[in-house]
Amino acid sequence: MSISKSKIKSYEKILKNKAYEEYELWISNFALNLKNIWNEHSAGILNTNSTDTEKHAIVIGKGPSINKHKHLKLLAESNFSGSIICCDGKLIDTLNAGVTPEKFPNFYVVTVDPLRSIKRNYDDPIVQKYGSKIKAIFSVVSHPDAVESARNAKMKIHWMHSLVDYNEGKKSFNYITSVMVRSKNHSKGLPAIQTGANVGTSSWFVGWKILGCKKIALIGINHGWEADDPWDLILSHTLNNNEMPSEPINIDKTTDSFKKLFPKLYNPDLKSYFIIDPIFQLYRSALLEFIERAPQWVSTYNATEGGSIFGKRVKNLKFSEFLTKSASKSLT
Amino acid sequence: MKSNFKENYKEKKPTAISEIYEQKGTMSDEEFEKFIIESGARGSFMVYRSDKKDEELGMDEL
Repeated sequence: MSISKSKIKSYEKILKNKAYEEYELWISNFALNLKNIWNEHSAGILNTNSTDTEKHAIVIGKGPSINKHKHLKLLAESNFSGSIICCDGKLIDTLNAGVTPEKFPNFYVVTVDPLRSIKRNYDDPIVQKYGSKIKAIFSVVSHPDAVESARNAKMKIHWMHSLVDYNEGKKSFNYITSVMVRSKNHSKGLPAIQTGANVGTSSWFVGWKILGCKKIALIGINHGWEADDPWDLILSHTLNNNEMPSEPINIDKTTDSFKKLFPKLYNPDLKSYFIIDPIFQLYRSALLEFIERAPQWVSTYNATEGGSIFGKRVKNLKFSEFLTKSASKSLT
Repeated sequence: MKSNFKENYKEKKPTAISEIYEQKGTMSDEEFEKFIIESGARGSFMVYRSDKKDEELGMDEL
């Protein structure tokens, strides 16, 4: 599938305008976080000199393949020695599956979303149990209640910027907040990441841009739907707060318009079909673009075993194969 | 933005998709925007773009 660059640009602009509806929330979240940002760590300290010259990492998303293929069980039973970078929405499941910082000491969780509802990802007994050994990475616009829950679980909080408008100069939100952050304690500022508009892509960026990992596997990063997923699930994408929608999107599935919005497409790596909705089309397009543009020392392995991520510089393999090759340092 | 895979949907009886079809052209801006609005999406982030292309891949210090 290929959507023209001009079309993608146009969709991105629409998404950006929509995102700006949260502008006041970014400001209030940042204001309430600022004192803690000054007193806590920059995510920039997390790129340590490891003895592992390859520096492997696994990004854990919450796409449906992760449960379908029991990837967390596989990981929990493995001797993987690299970093675990968990999207906030999959943290509780990941810990419950036995993928814990006691077994995997380089354990990170990432939040970029500013909504208060993210707090629930940190409010759980299993998070309390392992929190002190987890390094949390938050955007400066994350909701303070979500950060406080992580703090209450004794997580070590690390801050970063999420890029939104730095290109607009000294009046931009990114510029102004960066000056405020640097005004006390963080003289060099904080790292700033491209989010790709979602936490999965953000976590991949954290993997190489902040942690300096060279070989990064993706699991649960479908950016699409399985061909046999129910329509009401597919039509529910992006509904807020992970609540069940009262009504799925009302759209006639027999129309050409519908087929433009929800194409069923073929993944040649997996030799299977997937459904992709408008939001995922954008996520997918951005992630693939950035994987292709990443420095040559970064290798990306899609071990999701489902979904829409295939293309240049994406190495597709089964997760079990990734784990085996990672252990034997034979990833190519 | 976030991708919400709702675990509780698993309890619902699936309606399998049987038809296989090709993409019928490219959606218009209006169709895309309509989907964003009707899906109840609350935007929180976007893809960052800049004339300085390296900055799009992030910055070590800001």
